[in-house]
Amino acid sequence: MAMAAARRALLAHLRVPAVHPAAAGGTIPAARRLLSSTTEETKGSFLDKGEVADRVLSVVKNFQKVEPSKVTPTAHFQKDLGLDSLDTVEVVMAFEEEFSFEIPDNEAEKIDSIKTAVDFIASHPQAK
Amino acid sequence: MAAAAAAAPTRTEVLALFRSLLRTAKQFSDYNIREYTRRRAADAFRENRALADAPAAAAAFSEGKKQLEVAKRQALVYSLYAPKAKSVMELKVQ
Repeated sequence: MAMAAARRALLAHLRVPAVHPAAAGGTIPAARRLLSSTTEETKGSFLDKGEVADRVLSVVKNFQKVEPSKVTPTAHFQKDLGLDSLDTVEVVMAFEEEFSFEIPDNEAEKIDSIKTAVDFIASHPQAK
Repeated sequence: MAAAAAAAPTRTEVLALFRSLLRTAKQFSDYNIREYTRRRAADAFRENRALADAPAAAAAFSEGKKQLEVAKRQALVYSLYAPKAKSVMELKVQ
């Protein structure tokens, strides 16, 4: 299921340029790009973005200081949900628990809305 | 020593300390101690959030760092005496 989703995500982003055989120079970088993405896939599988969004939303809705009705996929933690920087740290820790992986400090600082959280988690191979 | 520590910690440093305390709190095997440590850290940071003058903020920050060391030590000690049964609060409701 996760593998199928990862394969779909990979296929959606892979673009092999159609080059005329005479300009063969272009095919080699494309092959190399294909190779590097497959090795990346073996390290862990990416979660489906829709599933990540659902789980992120339910984590934020369950956070005690948040009014569940205000939680939307585009909500900003501080502007829309009324959370402060300390709450944001706690919410990000709750994401770590939900997806059982660790978010490094410099990345955790950048997560300030539902959208940035979903983007980061969906692009992280270790998120489960 | 006290004069050197008078500079107020930056916002990033404070949030990093808070995150470290929450991470350490999660390591406790006992539900009650784990939750207490988390709550204690969150309450203390909220209580001191509006410290205006630099020396007071620096003092609170170094106190926080000391508490982090205490928590790390105690998490290790408590891991040697982990409770055999889970707390009723940890059981998933069917």
